[in-house]
Amino acid sequence: METLPDYTDKKSRFELKTLLETSRLLIESRETDFVLNNLLLITMGKMLVPRGAILIHDEQDSGYIVRKIKGRGLVNEGDRIELPWEPDQFESVVLDPAREKIDPPELFEGKNRGLFFNLRTSNHHLGYLYMSRKGGGEVLNEHEIEFVESLSIISSVAIANSRMFAEMREVNRKLDRKVYELNTLLSLSRDFSMMVDREKIASTFKFALLGQLLIRKFFLLYHIDGKIDLMASSGLSRAPNKGERKQIFDIPDDIKIVDPDDSNTTDWLKENDIAALIALQMQGEKIAVVGVSSKANRDQLSQSDFNFLQSLGNLAVLSIQKTQFLEERIERERLEEEINIAKSIQQGLFPDPVPEIPTWELSAKNIPSQQVGGDYYDIAETPDKNFIVAIGDVTGKGIPASLLMANLQSMLHVLLPVDISLGRATDQINNLIYQNTPSDKFITFFWGKYFHQEKRLSYINAGHNPPLLLRKESDSFEELSEGGLILGAMPTQMPYEVTDVELHSGDLMVLYTDGVNESMSRSGEEYGEKRLKELILNRRGDSAEQILDAIIEDVRAFSRNRFSDDLTLIVIKMK
Amino acid sequence: MKNFHINHREKDQIDILEIRGELDAHTASKLEDSLKTLIDKKKRNIIVNCNDLEYIASAGLGVFMAYIEDVRGLGGDIKLTNMNEKVYNVFDLLGFPTLYDILDDEIEAIKQFQHPDKQDSPS
Repeated sequence: METLPDYTDKKSRFELKTLLETSRLLIESRETDFVLNNLLLITMGKMLVPRGAILIHDEQDSGYIVRKIKGRGLVNEGDRIELPWEPDQFESVVLDPAREKIDPPELFEGKNRGLFFNLRTSNHHLGYLYMSRKGGGEVLNEHEIEFVESLSIISSVAIANSRMFAEMREVNRKLDRKVYELNTLLSLSRDFSMMVDREKIASTFKFALLGQLLIRKFFLLYHIDGKIDLMASSGLSRAPNKGERKQIFDIPDDIKIVDPDDSNTTDWLKENDIAALIALQMQGEKIAVVGVSSKANRDQLSQSDFNFLQSLGNLAVLSIQKTQFLEERIERERLEEEINIAKSIQQGLFPDPVPEIPTWELSAKNIPSQQVGGDYYDIAETPDKNFIVAIGDVTGKGIPASLLMANLQSMLHVLLPVDISLGRATDQINNLIYQNTPSDKFITFFWGKYFHQEKRLSYINAGHNPPLLLRKESDSFEELSEGGLILGAMPTQMPYEVTDVELHSGDLMVLYTDGVNESMSRSGEEYGEKRLKELILNRRGDSAEQILDAIIEDVRAFSRNRFSDDLTLIVIKMK
Repeated sequence: MKNFHINHREKDQIDILEIRGELDAHTASKLEDSLKTLIDKKKRNIIVNCNDLEYIASAGLGVFMAYIEDVRGLGGDIKLTNMNEKVYNVFDLLGFPTLYDILDDEIEAIKQFQHPDKQDSPS
């Protein structure tokens, strides 16, 4: 294409040397900026031209960007200008507007009538090097033009190289960032799995995002226990209040770009420069929302940034949930342990061993439906060497019932050594229970004092299932139902009345709680007193223990092993 | 706990934190505590000397992001110095050099605090 100048004389040789040195300098450089700056300075210096500029073609747009300008310019570096001709309109490297009759915009003060040198590779137009006239006003001679042309051709190659290098570097950098993001995700998933404190997880999530995305403002709203908590934040002017938290959480978008000009955008979001809100979901349910400001270096948050944020956010949320489950499990285990302790305390309240009572063969058993229960029974010796037998049932079951049962047990044992009649003792117990328990808590209670020498039982039944008495010679049951009101329902007005029964050898007595007769079959049928009575009649010849075991076994079979209520049973045979 | 230590010293009313070891998710809170303590005392000229910092994770970088505004709000700065190449590459990759003064040597940072007018434009 272009013919090289004649380099035979001394001046030309000097120029050739300059050309070679410059070309090496430029081609070896990988910085576009350096190449452009040197191209301009070298040509200006060599040609004694005081004004010059480099215009780079904007490939997205038709215009040119002023990348370098020296001398008193009318435009600044970075400005965009339009040239009134097409990039491929002229073939030659040098373009003289006067000759071509074209009118480019003035880059400098005064009429400069400079030349444009095309910067291009074989297939790519890069831009122009503009040279004004010399300082004294002379135009460049042919020889000088040829020199600048040569330099322009060499520089174009250098510019293309440096651009390619910059692109490669950018691609590499993006790749490095991706790799680093992945590493961050991997190492944080490991770190999170070792953390048991949700505050620590939230704070690590915060710092990782601030560092990775170069953001200064951050918050994490987390939906927990029916509330929306601010679990972590950074750089906020103030924490969002309850209403603001709810407003943010209720925004339905997965990724919401916050527009400060939108009238729906709340003042709090504007005040804190929040640029985006990202929802985090677990199994289709929104668990958390992350808010972030834009990047501190003014770059836009990209889709890739949001992807990273969501991935890391999901990891954090998963780990926070895991700590919740862990906490719940620890709490459950602690409760279970406490209940186990309560159970052993309660079992200690039952008489063990059951005292030997002259003329009685006795067997007793309590089976709570839960770990602890509200049934009570007791057999104890009185100061006058006689015996108390008692059975009771607190409304409800589980821990609340067991507390009241323990209360009743202690009252009984306080009153036991006191020389007080059964009736007056019951009056007092009723008053105490009435005063000290909620109105919906009652105790059905039966107790009797057995005078073993007279073989007489003095009893009071306070609303309890009547114990069954089967006389030796009889096939029908007597029910021990006399006494008074259920304990704890109202203060004692009518004294509890004592009823005496004479017992004889061979008589059989069965005391029980409603865990026996109200036990349910699968089909919802109650066990009932009739079944109980039939069983007792059938087994009346057996020992007290055998009868007790038989009843429990029958109830167990009837209910298919599901004791839905506490069950207590005392079987007494007169020797 | 992983190997991470902070040594604090003062020189000409400049607070210098020498950080050593691995700054990651587990150790970031230590650096956070140190910076918080300084900010609470209204200390505003802070140099973090990274000479013996072997590794930094994004959580570590986040701590700098979280407190730089506070320090600059007090009219001061956090300057980072003496990073090895591996650590610098991480800072560079995430775009920190445009926001922070990252200097080769602690002495340069001290000079900049003492004569802010002579400060070179950030690279």
